[in-house]
Amino acid sequence: MHAFSYERPATLARAVALLEAHGPEARVLAGGTDLIIRLRDGSLAPTVVVDLKRIAELEPGIREADGRLVIGATTVMTDIAADARIRRRFEALAEAAAVVGSVQIRNRATLGGNICNASPAADTAPALLVHGAVVVIAGPSGSRRIPIDGWFVRSGVTTLGRGELVTAIELPLPAAPMGSVHLRRTRRRGHDLASVTLCCGVDASGVTRLAYGSVGPRPVLAVDATGVLADRDAAPDARTGLLERMLAEATPSARSMRASPDYRLAMLRVLARRGVDIATARLAAAEGRR
Amino acid sequence: MSAGMSAAAGAAPGAAPGTATGTATGSGRVGDSPRRVGGHDRVTGLQRYVADLHLPDELHARLVTVPVARARIVTIDASAAERVPGFRFVMTAADLPQPMPRFGPQFRDRPVIAVGETKYHGDPVAAVAADTRDAAEEAAGLVRVDYEELPAAFTVAAALDPAAPLVQDPSLRPNDPLVGTNVLREHRVGWGDVEAAVADLVVEQRYTFPMVTHFAIEPHAYIVAPDGDGIAVWSSIQHPNWLQKVLAELLRLPLSKVRVHSPDPGGGFGGKQHTKYEPLVAFMALRAGRPVRLVLTLEETFQAVRRAAAEVRVRTGFQSDGTLAFQDIEANYLIGAYADIADRVVGKGSYPGCGPYRVPAARILARSVLSHTVPSTAFRGFGNPQVNWAVESNLDEGARALGIDRLELRLRNLARPGEAFIPFDTPCDGQWEQSVRRAAELIGWGRPLPAGHGLGIAVGIKSGPTTGLSYATVRLLVDGSVIVFAGTSDMGQGARTVFAQIAADELGAPLDAVTVVMGDTAIVPYDQQTSASRSTVLMGNAVLAACREIQGKLRAMAARLHGLDEATVMVDRGVVRLPERELTILEVLVPGLGRLGGELIGNGEMRKDAEPDHPLGGSAAFFEFNCTAVEAAVDEETGDVTLVHYATVSDVGKAINPLQVRMQDEGAAIQGLGHTLMEHYIFDESGRIRNLGAIDYRIPTSLDLPLEIVSEHVENEDGPGPYGSKGMSEGALLCVASAVGAAVRDATGVAIRDLPLTPERVWRALQERP
Repeated sequence: MHAFSYERPATLARAVALLEAHGPEARVLAGGTDLIIRLRDGSLAPTVVVDLKRIAELEPGIREADGRLVIGATTVMTDIAADARIRRRFEALAEAAAVVGSVQIRNRATLGGNICNASPAADTAPALLVHGAVVVIAGPSGSRRIPIDGWFVRSGVTTLGRGELVTAIELPLPAAPMGSVHLRRTRRRGHDLASVTLCCGVDASGVTRLAYGSVGPRPVLAVDATGVLADRDAAPDARTGLLERMLAEATPSARSMRASPDYRLAMLRVLARRGVDIATARLAAAEGRR
Repeated sequence: MSAGMSAAAGAAPGAAPGTATGTATGSGRVGDSPRRVGGHDRVTGLQRYVADLHLPDELHARLVTVPVARARIVTIDASAAERVPGFRFVMTAADLPQPMPRFGPQFRDRPVIAVGETKYHGDPVAAVAADTRDAAEEAAGLVRVDYEELPAAFTVAAALDPAAPLVQDPSLRPNDPLVGTNVLREHRVGWGDVEAAVADLVVEQRYTFPMVTHFAIEPHAYIVAPDGDGIAVWSSIQHPNWLQKVLAELLRLPLSKVRVHSPDPGGGFGGKQHTKYEPLVAFMALRAGRPVRLVLTLEETFQAVRRAAAEVRVRTGFQSDGTLAFQDIEANYLIGAYADIADRVVGKGSYPGCGPYRVPAARILARSVLSHTVPSTAFRGFGNPQVNWAVESNLDEGARALGIDRLELRLRNLARPGEAFIPFDTPCDGQWEQSVRRAAELIGWGRPLPAGHGLGIAVGIKSGPTTGLSYATVRLLVDGSVIVFAGTSDMGQGARTVFAQIAADELGAPLDAVTVVMGDTAIVPYDQQTSASRSTVLMGNAVLAACREIQGKLRAMAARLHGLDEATVMVDRGVVRLPERELTILEVLVPGLGRLGGELIGNGEMRKDAEPDHPLGGSAAFFEFNCTAVEAAVDEETGDVTLVHYATVSDVGKAINPLQVRMQDEGAAIQGLGHTLMEHYIFDESGRIRNLGAIDYRIPTSLDLPLEIVSEHVENEDGPGPYGSKGMSEGALLCVASAVGAAVRDATGVAIRDLPLTPERVWRALQERP
């Protein structure tokens, strides 16, 4: 491992100052599940590593505030997957968090880290897109919020600027019930990186939100506001055509050895069909409980 | 090794570093399943593997490689590396004796370090020594190697192309008729007249088997220290005595000056049988005048050991009633750039290729095809699973074409006890039909299945060791406790426990009063090797013979003490029988040894000599026989294969420790699911391994296992080992792919002839289904 200096700021302001001073030479350490691997294999060689784990403002945790669920950026996947509010109202996110890496990885890996690493295969990204998450950012000029669908640029790149870091991810609490699901394809059932990842959310008004990843440089959100996709009585051709259009942004790479492009596209369609069915069924079950 | 080093090396009290000892607990007569000797330390992290050992003043070595398979090494510039704090030296071919020393268990073709050109991705061109591992790694990354990529061959087809670049320098193969080719050797076995054989149905297909790696959880690790006028070596090696011989020859030292410590490996599977980087580390240690250690990363292990890939063409002749008429097999094994033991794998693995069946005419041709890939070596199953996949799958094709039940076809042709199914070898040494019928029963052969489900059944057979030599020493101490010295490597298969049970039973000692000492060539008597599932039989017999020698001394002692004729005294399974009464061992031993105490020492030898006229150099000591039956469910939209039920039944003669037998068979089955469902090396156009490491080379996890595994064994006490035991632990791997592939075929109607059966491959086959 290449030598680097290690900083463990106690305050958010200090962390922002360090990140601003060092720019791309600095890397942030939270769970370390991506960073440490890349330090070890030499694909990253920062001059300074900024450890966020002692910053008081970045204590992990999940709280409700003003009609939103606020997930601290350093909250680990295990806690997200186990949180009763997330399991009840953001089921796709709970399911996505539950399949990140292995048990040991989920005990370390943070939600902030997962979106900042910006892997096209990031398991939580489609769920956050479906649930309409907002990313809360601290930076040299204060705090800002941006919707998650403006966050991912391409593999490894987000809209995060110099000196900025993510402090929380907010999920607007839906007014009406929603059925959602996270599905993915991997090469084996045990822990693995996704070769296709997909979330589907259907709400009571019939709007279907489909988000998918690992089939292009960034995760994609597609919304059907017509209600056709979620309508089991709609003409099959209409639903199929709509689904095709919603999945049209998938551009899997031929260079990946995890799956060929045609297999990924075929599996994306399978997951989308299954996702719509499961989300619709879950919505019906949720409405039945009301 | 010097006393000073021993004391300072930080080993467990009372033991030299790496000299592993173990004490059994619980009741443990032969046939019981006491807790595994050493098992507690193994699962709690207390066991000290080679990588856990540290010597004072040790240096850390790291390898330098180039990112292509075959390249001419132009220059090696270490000037940047030299500036790394803690850097000590870099070792290249130029720093080694000239001509370059070479070694190898079959051919002396492997250089200590790449000389002139690299032969495969990972072939080291230099090694750096530094004060810390981090410094060594940093410096290794800064060694600048200028190289020129050369044409290379990574597949059977490319290597057999007459225009292919030669992998091996022709000067290494004098007087070899195949010298102008990449075929290292051809192996031909057969009987009867295949050309003249008449059959009602002939099925001919081509099958492929992927290149896979052992993936032992313990990293391969090596430490060498100068030791007086010799060297001391620590290696995670299966064959310490063979390593000792290789190093003694390379360094021109007497055997007695090369002391090999081989702490219990954490998984070997054949990958740790033969010498790899020990000579390089030895030359580095001698240059440094201090200990040098090298611990391979998982990525480097992928570049050190693998199983041979294979392309197998099978032509099977059937009579209309399912009787076999002939087998015609051509197997091209893709071995690596250096032979290692790979050619023996090819010869011995293809030899029983017709399976455990009565085949009137057989022709088997197997080629060892050199390529610019990682040297392949021994791997659990030793070349048999590759041909088994082809031949067993072909039998299914024939049964389907003839409309005969696949189980029935196998039973119809299965060799009966005593039948010389390979005419010039050991006859059928088991009631094999019992295993087949039991596996079929366990899977519910013939029952109706849900849509999308299918059943498969396959059998596997493997020749046991063809030669062997094992010595054991057993010491019965004055308090009745026992020390067994056995040169087997216990890499997880449980040899310590088996030997402890034999000694405990024969000498009437509680199992927890037996200590088994292994892994030090200066202390433990010679053992040829730990391979071919031999140790229970060969070393087990040596331990038994040593115990019997002690029993003989006890007999004489009892006769003397009681004024009896020795012929009237018997010692049997821990009891001394006089004409009128029985005594315990201690009741004879203590008075017999007298005031000064002392001990009784027994030595045992088990030898299986070579048979020069035999195609393999010796007949099989025993056969490993297994039948595996599987129920698979296939998701036709995704290609996912779920193994719903899995049954594996092995003929083991006698289970000295039934739980360990079961664990070995389950482990073999699970390991076999790797090459069956997901494992394979992926290369780029330069022969670089693309899926180098655990992220993109996937092995089965607990979530990938069958929903149910049942493992049973057949015991008829008809083996050559102690109490009628046979060797086991490879058998249950032999036909995993064949059984699973047959179940997938049964579920989908599509025969897939290439492994692994990844979801994408199954999906694609289903897309192409007519």
